[in-house]
Amino acid sequence: MAETEVVESYPTNFEAWIQEFNEWQTRIGFDPSWLGDYRFDIKFDWDTAGGEIEFGDFLGMPKWERRMQIPQQNIRDAIVSMVNVQGDTEFASVEQQNHLLASAPTEYDRKSALRIMCEEQRHGWQMAYLLCAFFGEQGVREAAKLLERNAQDGTRILGSFNEPIDHWLDFFMFTHFIDRDGKYQLKMLSTSSFKPLAASMGPMLKEESFHLGTGANGLRRVVKQGVIPCALIQKYVNKWASTGLDLFGTDDSSSAQWAYVYGIKGRYDEREAAVEADREHLNEASRELYFQELRGEMKRISKVRKEGEPDLHIPSDKFRRGIGKYAGEMYTVEGEPFEGSQGEYEAYLASVLPSEEEEEQLVNEYMQQEWIQYREWKGD
Amino acid sequence: MQHVALTSFDKERCKPFFDRLTEYFHQHHHSEEQDAVSYEELLYRIRRPYTPQMLDMIDEWMGLERRDWREDAQREVLLSLYAIRYPDTLLIESLTEKARSDIRRLSAYLHFTHHTYSIWDEDSRKGLGRLGIEIPDTEHADPFVYGAYVTAIELLKDVAPFTCFLEHDVPRQRLFQAALAAYGREA
Repeated sequence: MAETEVVESYPTNFEAWIQEFNEWQTRIGFDPSWLGDYRFDIKFDWDTAGGEIEFGDFLGMPKWERRMQIPQQNIRDAIVSMVNVQGDTEFASVEQQNHLLASAPTEYDRKSALRIMCEEQRHGWQMAYLLCAFFGEQGVREAAKLLERNAQDGTRILGSFNEPIDHWLDFFMFTHFIDRDGKYQLKMLSTSSFKPLAASMGPMLKEESFHLGTGANGLRRVVKQGVIPCALIQKYVNKWASTGLDLFGTDDSSSAQWAYVYGIKGRYDEREAAVEADREHLNEASRELYFQELRGEMKRISKVRKEGEPDLHIPSDKFRRGIGKYAGEMYTVEGEPFEGSQGEYEAYLASVLPSEEEEEQLVNEYMQQEWIQYREWKGD
Repeated sequence: MQHVALTSFDKERCKPFFDRLTEYFHQHHHSEEQDAVSYEELLYRIRRPYTPQMLDMIDEWMGLERRDWREDAQREVLLSLYAIRYPDTLLIESLTEKARSDIRRLSAYLHFTHHTYSIWDEDSRKGLGRLGIEIPDTEHADPFVYGAYVTAIELLKDVAPFTCFLEHDVPRQRLFQAALAAYGREA
């Protein structure tokens, strides 16, 4: 097909987009029959969305309910971009994870993962609906792109969503670290000046809480079982924590600042915060809250480890960062500057991150045993 | 009963409860009396095939006296735990009088084998009352009364804002039932 035909054949509305979605499911190997009676509903919680703009330069004005109420094109573009990134992550995670269903350690885990994948698809569906219903041709075009980019091809917008998730330990790490970041992003959008976006977040956050709970709980069950040594689990923590921290974006971010000025994306604790926002360091503030939350959660996970096993902990926020002021700098997991050459640092990184041999051992040795505490599926 | 409970539902009245739900949950679930650690243990240890010993473990956590049931009554209850499907509660009616006469015990068995059922608790019932959902008091496991209780908690789950759900490590029915218990006691 010629390039022009690809563009010309973009769906024209949400109904046409649904056809593309059905094809996407087949393409990535997600069998629609796995959904059972699950339906991709569009859900809004208008009550929690609020009626007036809550922060930024339009503070106190009515929230925008339609595209034409949004005062400037650059604000519309910024909203489209936010919805686009959010939707991109939702479909990406299904692409990353659906192959794991066949190797679930228990029926409980299989059903939990399936529920997560259904709900992630619903979140993507919701974002596509916002794009198609509120942003005309531009929105429909962006919605189509949500299904064109692909995690396996490495074309998803954010780095974490192109990372392969090869096994169930990575799955639990992903849901613990990356879905927890998702909770932050959704909550930051829950106070948005664009009301349909804010109203979409409540139902999504309700569902997201199960996802990150699955991660935290899964890790506790792994640690409690004691088959996979904590020293190895720590290496996966080192790998995923830094990835999660990067998802908050650059320091001194001007786009975060503009999003705040427009009122489209607030702070994580926007409604609870007693002090004015430091608009120049919005990403840093959210990242710090996330970082502290990770540390608290890891303490809880570490508590259940077997006697003699080393403590699990979150590495320094300077370690192995790809974004922000520490990006590309050489720091140890403890946050000390690394003394040595680039080559020595590479060797150091190899010693604190999972190696190929360890990955092999994890899958072919530890995971061949009863490596996770058994849990029966009883619904929730 | 369920119909009445749902049509008279006043969401505004729930706001103070939803605003402090997490706090209420912690007050009740993490109290010494409730023993949250043992509760979590039971989430894992109660599993198929169900045995009388598992029912003993639940009784112990609930602080209930030893069951004084004939063996066939016990077998009947164990079998019903396999047969029942949420949100069915009518099956309870077919149990012998001895088993049906203790709604707290039976609801706890249902909760630990199917997390979607809630533990019957007088304080939680009072908590629902404060929200305008009046569930009659009962000593017996009346399927309609218990059904209304379970449905009311399910309804709260549906209408509660996302802030109620952000962090918890118990089934959602427990989150709401425990919070309701603290809320009911506060009256």
